[in-house]
Amino acid sequence: MNPLNRRRFLAGSLASLGAGGAAVALTGASGARAGTAPDLATEAGVVADRQLLARVRFDGAHQPGILTPRPNQATFLALDSVATTPAELFESLQQISTQARLLSQGEFVGAAPVDDPPPDSGILGTYNSPDSLTVTVALGASLFDERYGLAHKRPRRLTPMPAFALDELDPARAGGDVLVQVCAGQRDTIVHTMRELMRGVAGQLVARWTIDGFQTAQRGPHPNSSTRNLFAFRDGTANPSVTDAALMKRLVWAAGDEPRWTAGGTYMVVRTIRQHVEFWDRVGMLEQEQMIGRDRVSGAPLGGTHEYQDPRFDLDPDGQRIPLDAHIRLANPRTAATTGQRILRRGYSYHRGVDDAGNLDQGLVFVAFNQDPERQFATIQRRLETEPMTDYITPVGGGYFFAPPGARGAADWVGSGLARA
Amino acid sequence: MSRLRGAVVVALLAVMALVGAALIPGSHDRTGPARAQAGVAARQSGTNTLHTHQDTVFGSNISARTYGTLIAEREQGIDSSGQLASDLDPIGPRVFDRPIAAYRRYAERWAATLARNVTRLRVALRAGNRAVAQRAWTTAFADYLHLGAVYGLLPDELNNELAGVPTSLGERRFTGLHRIEKGLWTGAPTRSLLPAAAALATAAARLRRTLPTVAISPLDYATRAHEILEDAQRDLMSGSQVPWSQAGVLGTAAGVAVTREVIGTLAPLLQGRENALGASQNELARLQHVLNSVRLRDGDWPTLTQLSQTERERVDGSLAGTLGALSEVPGTLETQNVPQIPKIPPPK
Repeated sequence: MNPLNRRRFLAGSLASLGAGGAAVALTGASGARAGTAPDLATEAGVVADRQLLARVRFDGAHQPGILTPRPNQATFLALDSVATTPAELFESLQQISTQARLLSQGEFVGAAPVDDPPPDSGILGTYNSPDSLTVTVALGASLFDERYGLAHKRPRRLTPMPAFALDELDPARAGGDVLVQVCAGQRDTIVHTMRELMRGVAGQLVARWTIDGFQTAQRGPHPNSSTRNLFAFRDGTANPSVTDAALMKRLVWAAGDEPRWTAGGTYMVVRTIRQHVEFWDRVGMLEQEQMIGRDRVSGAPLGGTHEYQDPRFDLDPDGQRIPLDAHIRLANPRTAATTGQRILRRGYSYHRGVDDAGNLDQGLVFVAFNQDPERQFATIQRRLETEPMTDYITPVGGGYFFAPPGARGAADWVGSGLARA
Repeated sequence: MSRLRGAVVVALLAVMALVGAALIPGSHDRTGPARAQAGVAARQSGTNTLHTHQDTVFGSNISARTYGTLIAEREQGIDSSGQLASDLDPIGPRVFDRPIAAYRRYAERWAATLARNVTRLRVALRAGNRAVAQRAWTTAFADYLHLGAVYGLLPDELNNELAGVPTSLGERRFTGLHRIEKGLWTGAPTRSLLPAAAALATAAARLRRTLPTVAISPLDYATRAHEILEDAQRDLMSGSQVPWSQAGVLGTAAGVAVTREVIGTLAPLLQGRENALGASQNELARLQHVLNSVRLRDGDWPTLTQLSQTERERVDGSLAGTLGALSEVPGTLETQNVPQIPKIPPPK
């Protein structure tokens, strides 16, 4: 019995147990499942922490994990396909969607069969709480090579990530046919999701690289204050508003001369950027602030008083207030010519032990969603090649991916456009 | 304000308090924390046999009453009017002329040595003896690293020709010391490295012509005092820039030598300005001692992979300690008052 079937079996045994509001009915061989939505009152009986009940819709015009709020924990998993046929590849992508939908909406873990391995690893106990779980699937340029005959389906702006000056990319930490971004409130939710996703695609998709990320906690002073990155500066202040649909249409969602199946999708740039934190911590405070262009405490642009204040570069053409090579100035010059270059950042910090010299290996999993990586992300990145902060960071991995539109319901899956004629 | 700097100030205040206490007969049995805070000789009634009252900070005309407050505020990065302020007065940029000139002569000597040793490397490559060639490479690489305080100031193209690293820009532009290193440690025929060595010789000659004209600003120079070993920690002890030869200890030893040279030229400027000089010299001496203790019996530096875990930890630890001390140097040598950042004009 493959894992998908195991899950069907699990659902079937649940239904036969009549497990409260979570009873699920099988709908035959199509793989689609119908059932009543999990019921909060029933769930509350098995979940002590109500935050674990927070649920993000899996299906929709766009995938979750793009515009949806950033939960505290994340894991990025790049997979390479060893599937021998397109059908096998599609089956594994479908498998990811099916599991993601179930796990992100919450499900009871049924009784395990006696003589077979249990259908669920069970590490979350009797109920797989949704815990704001989102699973976002994205595809690398390498998936559109000759192996599966998908070349004609390639999103027009999807290329391997180009080389930027100062990058020290490790091939073992870059690229991949498929990237899965898993976000949730708690680390165990993520670990569980990884376990279930990985065994669901065993034999077809194999892990290439992975990295865990976390959000620094919301420590104020205001509810909308941006959180800090590991250089201690607030990050994400200038992000375009995700509630502005017209803006998202201009900056995020695929548009123009793209294959029709891509509508509602977006280009996802992932960069694993080591931050040399010991070195950074040995730099004078004023120099740090001038490299960034912001006050470290408040996040206000230098010379300002609050985080979301316009830095008014136009009134500071010589860099008297904010140096001309400060990060915020090069990243977003706030001119009419650069307004279409803006990107939606959704990064996570990482800590992955120590390096051979005994230094902390900490950094940023930079994540950006944009409509056209060349027009937007790459243009910004090339401007940043001259910033003084480059001494303190080393990009080591990541890649360009395309996050397809969301699944349109239980019968659909993320990436189904690849399989349509 | 750094913790180290804070500790230094506390220590200074404590010394002053002791001096103050010593000036006050009969005070030795009453030295408590309350007495040690201002660092001045407080007015005492009755038993003052010196017949003077010390109301100012010893050796200055600063009022004892305001001194502690002033120091405390400046240590917090603001002065009494609420403006950003350094805890030290800036020093004139001209006083850097002599240290920089002395360092330039030092670098020029190493550039000449590099050129000579590149010639030896070419001879060894032509002769086809890999072990001899590897040793010649190691010598030339150490020569190059002795330029520590200037290599970042050379034109990018020259830097790349001397010791560029293979980045994602591709192998095509990869030449210089690390290109030869790669070949020597990955089994390439030694003679196949002759073109790269010839190009390196040309670059070394150009370096000798360029060095006298390289502009070195006081800020560059003061910053280099800690950045040479920052690079050693980030790029050499991690092995990331010497993946083939694993010559991280050799590189770090060269970095220590050049940093001691830089600190030596700066000693007259650092003298008496907090304790960056003493702390740096102590840590550098300790690091030098640790490095000497891991040297191989034949006097060579061990490769990173030859270090035992204990040796590795001692080198890494001492290097980290040294970097902490050196990070105080640039701020101690500030040549400008802290710039006052203009305010963003309010919207009309």
